[in-house]
Parts: sequence; structure tokens; C-alpha cells
Amino acid sequence: MAEEEDLSEMANDVERHLKLDPPKPSPPPPCPSHVLENVLENVLKFLTSRRDRNAVSLVSRSWHHVEAQTRFEVFIGNCYSLSPARLTRRFTRVRSLFLKGKPRFADFNLMPPDWGAQFAPWVAATARAYPWLEKVSLKRMFVSDDDLALLAVSFPGFKELVLLCCEGFGTSGVAVVANKCRQLKVLDLIESEVTDDEVDWISCFPEGETHLESLSFDCVESPINFKALEGLVVRSPCLKKLRTNRFVSLEELHTLMVRAPQLTSLGTGSFSSSTHDGAQGEQEPDYASAFRACRSLVCLSGFRELTAEYLPAISPVCANLTSLNFSYANISPDVFKPIIRNCHNIRALDSICDEGLQAVAETCKELRELRIFPFDPSEDSEGPVSGLGLQAISEGCKKLESILYFCQRMTNVAVTAMSENCPQLTVFRLCIMGRHRPDHVTGKPMDDGFGAIVKNCKKLTRLAVSGLLTDQAFSLIGEYGKLIRTLSVAFAGDSDMGLRYILEGCPKLEKLEIRDSPFGDVGLRSGMHRYNDMRFVWMSSCRLSRGACRDIAHTLPSVVVEAFGSDDDDDDDDEDDNADYVETLYMYRSLDGPRKDAPKFVTIL
Amino acid sequence: MEGCPRSRETCPKLLDLIPQERKWYHDEEKNNSDQEKKLELRLAPPGGDEEDLSAMKKKKNLETRNNIKKEAEDKPIFNLSGNHFSPSNKTTYAPPHISHKRTAPGPVVGWPPVRSFRKNLASSSSSKLGNDQINKSGEGEKQVEPKREGMFVKINMDSVPIGRKVDLNAYSTYEQLSLAVDKLFRGLLAAQRDTSGGEGEEQPIIGLLNGKGEFTLTYEDNEGDKMLVGDVPWQMFVSSVKRLRVIKSSEISSALKFGCSKQRENEELKWLSGTSVCVEGSHSF
Repeated sequence: MAEEEDLSEMANDVERHLKLDPPKPSPPPPCPSHVLENVLENVLKFLTSRRDRNAVSLVSRSWHHVEAQTRFEVFIGNCYSLSPARLTRRFTRVRSLFLKGKPRFADFNLMPPDWGAQFAPWVAATARAYPWLEKVSLKRMFVSDDDLALLAVSFPGFKELVLLCCEGFGTSGVAVVANKCRQLKVLDLIESEVTDDEVDWISCFPEGETHLESLSFDCVESPINFKALEGLVVRSPCLKKLRTNRFVSLEELHTLMVRAPQLTSLGTGSFSSSTHDGAQGEQEPDYASAFRACRSLVCLSGFRELTAEYLPAISPVCANLTSLNFSYANISPDVFKPIIRNCHNIRALDSICDEGLQAVAETCKELRELRIFPFDPSEDSEGPVSGLGLQAISEGCKKLESILYFCQRMTNVAVTAMSENCPQLTVFRLCIMGRHRPDHVTGKPMDDGFGAIVKNCKKLTRLAVSGLLTDQAFSLIGEYGKLIRTLSVAFAGDSDMGLRYILEGCPKLEKLEIRDSPFGDVGLRSGMHRYNDMRFVWMSSCRLSRGACRDIAHTLPSVVVEAFGSDDDDDDDDEDDNADYVETLYMYRSLDGPRKDAPKFVTIL
Repeated sequence: MEGCPRSRETCPKLLDLIPQERKWYHDEEKNNSDQEKKLELRLAPPGGDEEDLSAMKKKKNLETRNNIKKEAEDKPIFNLSGNHFSPSNKTTYAPPHISHKRTAPGPVVGWPPVRSFRKNLASSSSSKLGNDQINKSGEGEKQVEPKREGMFVKINMDSVPIGRKVDLNAYSTYEQLSLAVDKLFRGLLAAQRDTSGGEGEEQPIIGLLNGKGEFTLTYEDNEGDKMLVGDVPWQMFVSSVKRLRVIKSSEISSALKFGCSKQRENEELKWLSGTSVCVEGSHSF
């Protein structure tokens, strides 16, 4: 309150000053802009959305300046879109950094290793510029143990580290973070590759009470010192989320749950008993009772080596669950259905059991996000009739907002039904694993189904298509997909027109990833007017030539155009007929020009 | 059907030609090595195991990756001759009840778009230990840690509580090894030294072999003797080294004389984690 009074007093003083003095042909006194900046600073502190902030920063120079000073969380969607130096020059008070590196198709071995996205230059720059940095989240970045060590010593107040789909480090690096970051609240290793350096990193947390609120290591493929973990849990009174890896047995899980009944999110590890002997019930812990004691549990995952007979133990918490991840569990419908029938409040479900979907549809009326992964991720396997499952979900879960669905085959009718029943959909990702598979009932392409999705789901921002698709499908996407920001295409389309429809029709498109589709130079060139406004375009195994890619690079200097093959080494003596062919095109806008760390196999045009 | 959608009854159309062989295959499925031999002799894909299919898919993938622009439809299937197929001893055990249609063209890199750690649902449930190679490489040939091919020895460094491992097969000279040691420990050493909240500047670790640096590289050989690294020819060193240690140059004489490395290790680890002693390198957690 005092601050406001000071400000208004200042404002009054300024006014009086201006009225008393006769107008002079001189630049206005600096006071008003100071006032403005102070006011602005206080107002902008409330703005958290980065899109709003980006808009604000464009208003004027002083607004730009103030916004930069009050932005505490910085999100960088492509680590190569600017240099670390530019970040530290513009934003001076960053407390939290979210960096994304490789594009998503790198997850599927479409990108050679050692392509880049190193965290090293970023940690070096931020270590100097933001000693007060508290939070770092990285996705698809290459992070070394040295990087983690530098992070651990550079930021005394460091609180949260989240590594999503990262690689390059091992348990040694994790150990240093655990040991040196004394204020650590969050250490989440999610879907990352963590090499086993045979280091007991759990024991490296310091003695005494910790500030830990979240500890996730379900992706760490090495055994852990359970006694140390138990000790850690006991001295972490704030711990709410604990995701263990598959080396934690059911008995050990029980111990942890008894020690930490306050948990809200639990990754259950192997969920299998380490003793398979015949001695029934004597010394077996009461798992159901342990679950019952965790009254705040709303999120369950893990079940890596599920022993189905123990699963009913989770029944006491089912009614409270909002999030359930069974996607690592080899779970059969007979086991799945009775469990899911108790989960009335589930909002997010991950599973492989596409045959249990009827039960999901009947019970989970609050479902917002559904991900069904394939039990057997090959395109040739037989599968149950998946169209029915999708249709059932669409009829039962009307509040659905996001779906990722793998299946062998699909029908237009089922997809259309979903488009009509689930108007809230913002994310629709359907992966028909059989390449070029048509509607298995009518034999027609899947154009109508996806067309219905873009027509009826007016809030759609993310779309992934598959199956047999003609250019007509893309024409519909271009016509109706006006809010689409991310589009994923694989093995689809007939000609360059398909790509043209998208690039000419979707004004909000930011991320475009295409593989194995017959789109060529004409299609690529048709998007010239868009590439400056997009985050990236990926096209692999299409029909692009070097010439066209070079044209883009020359016409759009702020777009970096990278060309490389899908194999590791590019021999210098390639066959001449292939020399013009671009196996993979990855291009993105950048404020600081081509990167200096590109490996040999990448050509920057 | 629960979770395992494929049934034994559906057989690939190609296998109509060899129904007898398939039956034979299932009868002897207990013996893994026999299975591998059978695969070597075949000209058509087996009707059986998930494990062999996934191993074979990997092999086919390497070949089809080169042909990916022209989708070679028939090629992969007839490439299954004995000398191409190297049955890995890293396959996991799979419940042998899954058969696959092999009518489509050979598998393609990164399709279906499922991350590699999700690919082993069929086999992971029955194998607790799992397998790094299978779990991580998926359809590509991405190698994470070639532990089985390398010659890994432990290496510790004074004042760094965390030990590492080096693959001596990756180097052919002492210089290379010395550079590797610098790379391994530079960051960790800097982290350790920052006890007074300093800058954490990283100093390169040099002079490991000539006694001129702050640290010197030593090793323990197969007879338990502690030696300075660099005195004998490289191959002789590789064949006799059991573990490595980077010690402070000032303590060379005492380290080599008394060489109670185990004690020192324990002391350092004690410092790090209070009173408990971390057991390094053992899986008995």
C-alpha cells in the first residue's frame, strides 16, 4: 500500500512540475518514464503467460525493457533459435528455464546420434548470469555429467531439476546434484536415458531433513540402495511425489508407503513380489492396507513387472485417482476392467489395454486425456477391432480433450463418431500402425474421418494423421484446421498439393513433422511465406532436393536449414544420383544464425 | 483376447508353405540355442517367438534402412541366411505365444512411432533384470553402453567420491587414456572443489603421466601391486590392469608404498554420506 501511495505522490509531483514550468522545447524529464516503469513492473509481475508477455514486449522500447526485467520464467522451444548470450542479455532476472532441444522424431531413431542440443553452453552462460536460478527443465537435450556438476555448484538456491527425454548423463551426475543442491525440492528424471555408473546416488543426498517434494527415477535402469531410499523418504517430510523404478519390489514399495502415507503421486516400481515361494500370507505385507492409508494418493504409475494377483490391493485408492498409468503393465482385460470400474474420477489414463475401453467408457466420465499404446508395436500383428473401442470412448467420455491412440486398423465411422461426440478435443493423435491402411470396412481412405475431426473439433490445436490418406485429407485440414499448431504426418498424401494445402491453409501452424510422404520441392516452396513464423519443419524420406532447400535458406536468412541423412556417417563418395536428394530436412527460425556445433553429417545450407 | 491379441492360429500366408517346420519349432522351444540354429536354416520367417522376431527385425532394419527410399518388399524376408543373422545372446525371454503376419514390407526405422522403452511389453514382464541392449535400441541400432564388448575398469580420483568406469578397449595410447580421464573427472572435480561457494571454474586435468601435474595416474595390476601408469607398453598395461586411480602427485610415494586403496575409498565415501558406507560397484543393494 505504501508503495502505491509513493507512486501516486510521485505522479502528482510530476504533474505539478509540468504545469508550473512553461513548456520548453526540450526532451521531457525522465521522471514520467520511471513512474511508468515502476507501475509497469508491478503490473507485469502478474502476467505469467508467455504469449501475453511476448505481446507486451512489442508495445514499445520501455515496455520491452520492463517486460524483460520481470520475466522470471523463460521458455525456449528450440534451443537453437537463439544463443545463450542473447538470453542473458535480454532477460536479467531469470529464475526458471525451460529448454527444448531435439525435435520429436528424434525419439524414433530418425535422427543420428550426436546431432546436438547440448546443455553445456546454456549451463555455462546461466551459471554466470543467473546465480539465483532455481529451476531448470530440459526436454530432449544432451546433458552430460559435467553439465550436472556445474549446475550443482553454480546455483546455491537451486530447487527443481526436470529432465524429460534427455540423455548423455549417468548416475554420477545425478549423485552430484543430489549431494550439492541443498535446497532441492524436485528431482524428476522422466523417460530419460541414464547410464549406470554404478554409483549409489540415493546415498548421496545429504544427511538431515531434505526439502524434497518430488523424486522421480522410474526411467533409471539400475538397481538402487533401498535402505538409503527408505532413509531418504523418512527424512523428507514434504515428499508428495515418488516414482520408483522397476528395481523396487512390492515389499519394498510397501515399506515406502508406510513411511510416506502423505504421498499424492506414486510410481509403483515393479509391482511384483521378490519372493515367489509358496508361503502364502504368513509374512506377506498387507498391501491393501498400505494403499488405504495413503488418503491423498491421486496418481499411480509404474507396474513395470505387474503380478496381476496383487493388483486388487490398489482398490482402496481407485475412487480418488485422477491419473493412472498402466502403459508399462502387461495387463489383460480381465484384470484391467474390475480396477477401472472403480476409477470414477480418472482424468488421465495411459494403458495398453484397448479391449478394456468399453469399461473405461462406462466408468470414466471425467476423462480428459487418454493414451492407448500398442501392446505389440509392430505393424503386422493382429489386433482386436479398435474402431469399436474408439467409438465407445467417444460415446462415454464426452469431456475428452486429448487422445493418443495406437491401433492396427480403423474406420472412418469411428473417427467421425469421435469428432461428433467429443467437441472439446484439442489433441487428436491417431496412429494406424499398418502403413497406408484404408478403412478396414469400406476399403476407402481415411480422409473422411480426419476431415470430420478438423471440421467438428473446433478447438483442435494438435493433430497426428495416419492410414491411407489422399491429398483430399490435407485439403480438409487446410480448410478447417485453423487453430492447428502441431501437425504430424507419416506415410500419407499423393502429391505436393497435400503439403501446399497445409502450408497455405493453416495460419497457426508452428510445428510440422512429416516423414515418408510424397511431398517435394513444389510443396516446400509453397510455404515460403510461413517459415519465418514457424518453430520448425521436419521432413524426412520425402522428395526434396538440395536445390529447393538451398532456395529456402537464401530467401529466408532467419531460417536455418539443415540437411542430413538418416544414417550415421555420410561418406564423401556418395553415389552421384543421390547427392541431390535430401534425406532429412530440419529447418527452424533462429535469431542468431546457423549453429557452430553442427556435426559433420549435418549440412547447413 | 487379453492383452496378447495375436493367436497362434493366425499364421502368415507365407508359412502355408512350411507348416511342418513351424510345429517342429514350437516343440523344441525350450532350448534357445536350438531355436537360433533353426532360424539360420530357414528361408521364411518363423511363426514363433517375439524375441527372435525382434532380433531379426533389428537385422532387417539395418538392411532396409539403406533401401528405405525404394520399399523393398521381398528383400528382407530372404535375407535370413545363417551368416547374416547373428543371434544375440542378449535376447530376453518371451512367452512364446505370439505370431505375426509377415505380408507387409519389411519394418521401417522408427515405425510405429513408439519410444524404445515401450517396445518390450511382451517380454519385459517375465524378465526382471531386463536387458539394456534390447530395451534401449528398439528398431534402430542405437547402442547405449557396449558393456559386453568393452574392457571396463574402475577408476577413482582423490577427493572425488564418485568413481567412474573406463573402457580401455576404446584407447590405444596412454595419451588417449589421459585425455579420457580429464574428460571424465573435470566437472566432478570442480564440483568437489567448490566447498566455499566459489565459481566452480573447471581446470583441465593434465600432467597425469609425467608427474608434473597436480594429479598422477596409477593403477593396480592383477597381482595387487600399485604402479605408475605409463611405464610398460600399452598392451602389457591393458592385459594386467585391474583398476585405476588418480592420486595427488604429492602423495605418490606413500600411495604406492602402502596402497590401502580400499580404506581410502571408504573414507571418502564416508565423508560424502555421513556414517554409511556406499558399496561401490556391487549390485547387492
